[in-house]
Amino acid sequence: MSNEILLKATDVVKTFSTRSKKFGRPHLATAVNGVSLEIRRGETLGIVGESGCGKSTLARCLVQLLPTTSGSVVFEGVEISKLSRRALRPLRRKMQLVFQDPYASLNPRRTVGDIVAEPLRINKFGTEVVIQERVRELFRTVGLDVNSLTRYPHEFSGGQRQRIGIARALALNPSLVVADEPVSALDVSVQAQVLNLMADLQDKFNLTYLFIAHDLGVVRHVSDRVGVMYLGEIVELGDADELYDRPMHPYTEALLSVVPELNDTDAPRRERIILKGDVPDPADRPSGCSFHPRCPVATDKCKEVKPALVEIRPGRSVACHYPKNAG
Amino acid sequence: MPESPVLKVSDLKVTFATRQGPLRAVDGLSFEVAPKEVVGIVGESGSGKSVSMYSMLGLVRDANVTITGSVEFQGREILGLSDKEMQPIRGGEIGMIFQDPMTALTPVYTVGWQIVEQLRTHTTMTKAQARERAIELLSEVGIPDPRKRIDHYPHEFSGGMRQRVVIAMALSCNPKLLIADEPTTALDVTTQAQILDLMVKLQDSYNSSIVIITHDMGVIAEMAHRVVVMYAGRPAEVGPEIDVVRNPRHPYTWGLLGAVPRIESRNDRLATIPGNAVSPLDIPEGCAFADRCEYRMDICTKRPQLKGANDHLDACWLSDEQRVAIRTKASS
Amino acid sequence: MLSFTLRRVLSAVLVLLAISVAVFLIFFATPGVDPAARIAGRSASPATLEHVRAAFGLDRPIFIRYWLMMDHLFIKRDLTSYVNVGLKVVPQVLKAAPVTLALVSGAAVIWLVTGIFGGIVAAANRGKFIDPLVMFVGIAAVSVPAYWLGEVVNLITQSRLHSSLFAWVPSAGYIPFTQNPWQWALHLLFPWLTLAALYAGIYARVLRAELVNAMNEDYVRTARAKGLSERRILIKHALRCSLVSIVSLFGLDFGALIGGAALLTEVVFGLQGVGMLTYTSLQNLDLPVIMACVMYGSFFVVLANAVVDILYAFLDPRVRVA
Repeated sequence: MSNEILLKATDVVKTFSTRSKKFGRPHLATAVNGVSLEIRRGETLGIVGESGCGKSTLARCLVQLLPTTSGSVVFEGVEISKLSRRALRPLRRKMQLVFQDPYASLNPRRTVGDIVAEPLRINKFGTEVVIQERVRELFRTVGLDVNSLTRYPHEFSGGQRQRIGIARALALNPSLVVADEPVSALDVSVQAQVLNLMADLQDKFNLTYLFIAHDLGVVRHVSDRVGVMYLGEIVELGDADELYDRPMHPYTEALLSVVPELNDTDAPRRERIILKGDVPDPADRPSGCSFHPRCPVATDKCKEVKPALVEIRPGRSVACHYPKNAG
Repeated sequence: MPESPVLKVSDLKVTFATRQGPLRAVDGLSFEVAPKEVVGIVGESGSGKSVSMYSMLGLVRDANVTITGSVEFQGREILGLSDKEMQPIRGGEIGMIFQDPMTALTPVYTVGWQIVEQLRTHTTMTKAQARERAIELLSEVGIPDPRKRIDHYPHEFSGGMRQRVVIAMALSCNPKLLIADEPTTALDVTTQAQILDLMVKLQDSYNSSIVIITHDMGVIAEMAHRVVVMYAGRPAEVGPEIDVVRNPRHPYTWGLLGAVPRIESRNDRLATIPGNAVSPLDIPEGCAFADRCEYRMDICTKRPQLKGANDHLDACWLSDEQRVAIRTKASS
Repeated sequence: MLSFTLRRVLSAVLVLLAISVAVFLIFFATPGVDPAARIAGRSASPATLEHVRAAFGLDRPIFIRYWLMMDHLFIKRDLTSYVNVGLKVVPQVLKAAPVTLALVSGAAVIWLVTGIFGGIVAAANRGKFIDPLVMFVGIAAVSVPAYWLGEVVNLITQSRLHSSLFAWVPSAGYIPFTQNPWQWALHLLFPWLTLAALYAGIYARVLRAELVNAMNEDYVRTARAKGLSERRILIKHALRCSLVSIVSLFGLDFGALIGGAALLTEVVFGLQGVGMLTYTSLQNLDLPVIMACVMYGSFFVVLANAVVDILYAFLDPRVRVA
């Protein structure tokens, strides 16, 4: 990992207009609400949060699969959030995605060899012979049988399909791989295989990962740094071990406390903090701190003043008026 | 435990006739559930954990299915009972909670209507009494403002709230046994915590036994007193939760526990189980796990039976000495 | 629910307004054609043309013309046919409407009852011989053209067996309900059955498919786990949810039939309904009548759709908020 910044997002906002429940007055749901972050070359930045927190939307905004409503995204020194589609195209090959559902993201009517070769053909990687050789190499890299190139996606198991998805993402030697819940559809034993593979590939090709997941254990395992999202905002960001061992934001603390524990040592059980209620509607945000209606330590200040994400220590930021473990 | 078991499953086999031959979804499952006990059935997808529960309640409506073995509920054989004979048991004495709360409720009726329907099926309550009881139940499962919410439709509730409604419905007739099929898999972790917490509380006040089906060892560790680890439709390991989690005996359980990334600490590599789950269409005659097992021996072509001591059983040919040697080597 | 109903009615009114404008523009503002000549019909005298121009304000601005047209159609209701001189158009439509309404409504009751019954019976007996049997009868009913079936029915009841088995069948025609309800029903019986056969077949098949799908839904599994009887699950849960698609299908069919699509049945059984009226006016290029029929037809299609949407929201609470 170097200190070179591969991608820098500043105050990224993404709103969707939805129809209101009463008469057709459109109103806006803010899926991503002013997110700023940096991804360093060679690192894995994990983004964790519950469903609807905007983590997938954020990822899509960062690679410009979705246009941002406002804010800036700089990738390899180029401001990409204002580029036209055409101008963006040469940069696309450097930012690849791996999706959650390996079945839905692979065209069922094409052979897996074709699927992996497609980005190579589109980007005129070389002659057909060169492309075929590259596909074979990719298959070996992700641990798939080269003899299965002419088979179709449905003939593969979930884990193998995810390997195909990874091979396709790696075809053009990307610098950034955005993995959106890449293992959440897989069984644990297969999940472990895919996570290990992704780690190996990162070492081998010096890849940078933006890893989106809801599983806190998985995120800790893969990430160098972790951002915790709640209702479209990053509420805490920091070194993975630091953040997991000494969470500062009450939401992070609650989230970590309720992960079911394996109870396989004599260590005392964690004190569980069970949050009340549900995540609010992103179209109807609470005043002040977005988390205050569910926060066990909220005060009147939290209802009125929105805390900014501030760097408490180098590389450790939190958006809370009363951060824990800050001393 | 001296009391006779609430549920006793012996050698349950569920086979589907398919064009590719017989598909053995459950292949000789046996376990018992004592009164007030929580038994966790854990396994990966296709391990037959849900099918086993559905088939014993007669909820598998496939014409090509063959179910054999024995399922005794409170001392009475329920396998092979007709639909008519099963109806008072389903919902009355055995309640069920399902994985996806978003689709488990009929979308066109209010939640109150659906709870009242169940109450009126199994009791002699009047409409007004049933409605009062439904309000009580909703309040017990932690739905705020139940008097108003009872007339709301399922789509007006969040996922966690809907699962609470499903739980209220499952408990409405004071069942002796509650079967929860992946009750929190579709929920977020904070909601999962709320629901697990609720289930523990309710189990206390309702005194039901629970069978919880899940793929998440963590959920088992939080909830279950005893665990059945299933692989390829067969039980691989059965025992008290603490023994299975701390001193797992079967190589599959070792892999399963080692493959879970933990939040407490981080290791560079996760333990993996090589290969993919065996297809239920061609489960080997011998040990079903042998093809993926690092420690396979010649004898593994013969099917191992569940055996062991102190209520902690496993189906593996490894001797105790071999296991100790393997585990010491692994932890060093 | 009330606000949904109001919104839906309002939008139906707006659609009708838009249709009236569209119809008006087609008939009166198509460039290059003299609307007076078209309204007056073939070989009209110059005096008639002059009269038409004055009556419809054809030398006046377009919105005045639109207003005059609507005035003739709905307020004064004195639009006159120039082909059959002196025949008032609106009363003609109003006279034809009850015939069509009676024909289609009666048939609708029959096809809904038999279609839904057939669908339920087939779905409940899946895997037994009765299911394919019902479905075969259904596909047969769908495949037989209505006019052919009508002619065969006529042939048997009016001619071949009229002197024996079907002596009670009256000759073709229509008797108003107010005049003699028994004769009204008797005259319409075979038209009803003929028209209903096709739709009953379609509905039974659609409903069966919907029910079979619904029976695999999670909520049906929940209902079984609740210990409900199979019968209750089928009727109260699966059927209730499947009715939504039947209702939307019904809205389209009913609206279209009322609007004139029952033409073939009307012709075969000699019923002077709207389909028949449209058909003759088209043959004579009787523009005022055509226009009135189009307006009438679209009115019913829009009305039927609005009713269906409201019913839809009644059946499916999820629609109400959208």
